[in-house]
Amino acid sequence: MDKNSYLSLFTVHRSLFTFYCIVIAFFLVFGLTAPSHGRVYIDIDSPTIQKFPLAIADFKNLGKNPDKDKLGTWFSDALGKALQVTGFFTIIQRNAFLEDPNQAGITTDSIRFSDWTGIGAESLIKGGFQVNGKELIAEFRLFDVIQGKLISGKKYTGKAGDRKDMVLKFASEVLLQLTGEKGVFDTRIAFAGKKGQISEIYTINFDGSELSRITNFRSLTLLPRWSPDSREMTFTSYRDGNPDLYLLDTSSRRARKISGFSGLNLAAPWSPDGTKILMTLSKDGHQEIYVMDFREGRARRLTHNYSINISPTWSPDGKRIAFVSDRSGSPQIYVMDADGENQRRLTYQGNYNTSPSWSPKGKRIAFEGMVGGSFQILAMDEDGGNVVQLTTERSRNESPSWSPDGRYIAFASKKNGRHRLCVMNANGSNVRILHEGMEGYDNTSWSSRSNLY
Amino acid sequence: MKRNLVVFSLIVVVLGLGLILTVGCAKKVVKETAEEKTATVQKEAAAAAQPAETEEQRLAREKAMKEAAMKEAALKEEQERERALAAQKEKEAAAAAIAAAFADLRFDFDKFDLKPEARETLKKAAAYMLAGKDVTVVIEGNCDERGTVEYNLALGEKRALSAMKFLVDLGVDKGRIKTISYGKERPLDPGHTEEAWAKNRRDHFVVTEK
Repeated sequence: MDKNSYLSLFTVHRSLFTFYCIVIAFFLVFGLTAPSHGRVYIDIDSPTIQKFPLAIADFKNLGKNPDKDKLGTWFSDALGKALQVTGFFTIIQRNAFLEDPNQAGITTDSIRFSDWTGIGAESLIKGGFQVNGKELIAEFRLFDVIQGKLISGKKYTGKAGDRKDMVLKFASEVLLQLTGEKGVFDTRIAFAGKKGQISEIYTINFDGSELSRITNFRSLTLLPRWSPDSREMTFTSYRDGNPDLYLLDTSSRRARKISGFSGLNLAAPWSPDGTKILMTLSKDGHQEIYVMDFREGRARRLTHNYSINISPTWSPDGKRIAFVSDRSGSPQIYVMDADGENQRRLTYQGNYNTSPSWSPKGKRIAFEGMVGGSFQILAMDEDGGNVVQLTTERSRNESPSWSPDGRYIAFASKKNGRHRLCVMNANGSNVRILHEGMEGYDNTSWSSRSNLY
Repeated sequence: MKRNLVVFSLIVVVLGLGLILTVGCAKKVVKETAEEKTATVQKEAAAAAQPAETEEQRLAREKAMKEAAMKEAALKEEQERERALAAQKEKEAAAAAIAAAFADLRFDFDKFDLKPEARETLKKAAAYMLAGKDVTVVIEGNCDERGTVEYNLALGEKRALSAMKFLVDLGVDKGRIKTISYGKERPLDPGHTEEAWAKNRRDHFVVTEK
């Protein structure tokens, strides 16, 4: 890469809108000595992770038209909110700022970095925008204020309505630069939302926006499970009186029944390559785990046991399956090879461990366990060691599901009769309520990235 | 020629009408006469059997007749009410018999084995089903709110299957029994106390008479 300047141009096509994203050609006064994301500023895997202090200056109006929509503060607020949600940053309040916004610019040579290090910031985001009729151009720049240099700059051109996408796109870039991996702003969390005797499948964005009901079965409908490309989903519904398994096309929202044996037909995760699904059937009078290959269209039984065998989850490489069985007399988590061989028990603490969810980034399995009468989310290594309790509030915390980057866990919580859908960071910090007010949230399932941001 | 035709037509019409009138009147006369005669005969007969009654007597007689009719209607109504009540009682007794024979079965936390009380209830249920009563049952397995949706769906199914197996072992045809699990999704008591949980860990029977 040219040390002094670079320019690249690419186009992002998407169903909602199309906007052009231009990586700005910056003349770097201080020069970029390292590749753009060679250094990880925040090691999120560190057990003692501290929140990273970040300042976001109000955006400058670079155009000739007056800022009648107050976009200057809108951009900084929206970006602050998006980054706050990640749990990795402390956003420094603007009333602490020392910089005179009328004097300072948005380029490296027009920023006095001591104004920012003086208030404890380690990174700074500045930006500008211009509105020309219906067109909106926005520039975003991320600075390392300690070294006094630009880390990344982007320029987006689109319509005024695209501005939230611009913000999320840059927030994702900030994460890529500072943590080594882009954000999950383009993911959705599916769950079963309860109302009276029925439940329906809903989805909601990572930041808690855009709640959407995607089934209208008017019956008990449970256990949504995204396909790896998020285009399809399996779930279980009592619509026809029996808990049957359905396959739903998430764009057309058309569903068809794919398993309707008498007894339970419970939806379980898709294999990482999307060719197979796991499920629990009880057609033979006991609950057994099956794998169905879509190409064969035939279910193959993996467990052979008169006790309960349920809630399977794949390892990220698809070679192993963790699941729940009460074969020892209480529900515990077991693991087996993908062909059902080598079944062995993983959990030995407590007498109620269920709902395993294998981190897509590898070696940890989150689960739900009864700890002193309350239900908590815990995580352990894939061999059952190193068990850590992640939630601590004396409430009912259930149904953990990992984000595709392995950095967050969604779960359902109930405290003092109030139900909530929550997300926390993988170490149990930064618990955030995504939604509350329904009569129950269950069976969270986190979509893959849609590569919007 | 034309004029003659018109005159002829008129004559025919007039004659025709005359004929119809004559026949009609004749019939009427005959009828009236017959009615008068009947009336006269009846009056005479009555006069011969009884002395002419006074206005008061006539009113009293009419009142008595009315009262008798009312009494009869009331009696009929009463009988019908009694019949309905008996049918209702019979129905209630049948329902009570079903309720007594098919009481909810309770379970311990995370358990699906039948307690002694549950076995006694199931014996009554089997006796009822084997006594020639043409009923089918759906056994609904339920759990309390604690724990996972999926595990509780399995546990609820185990609870329903335990009861089914017991009934089948007592000789009830398996074809008359269905099971379904609602897991923890349909609590009987929405409370969060041990008392509420105990009520919710249950097998519930839905009995259908053929």
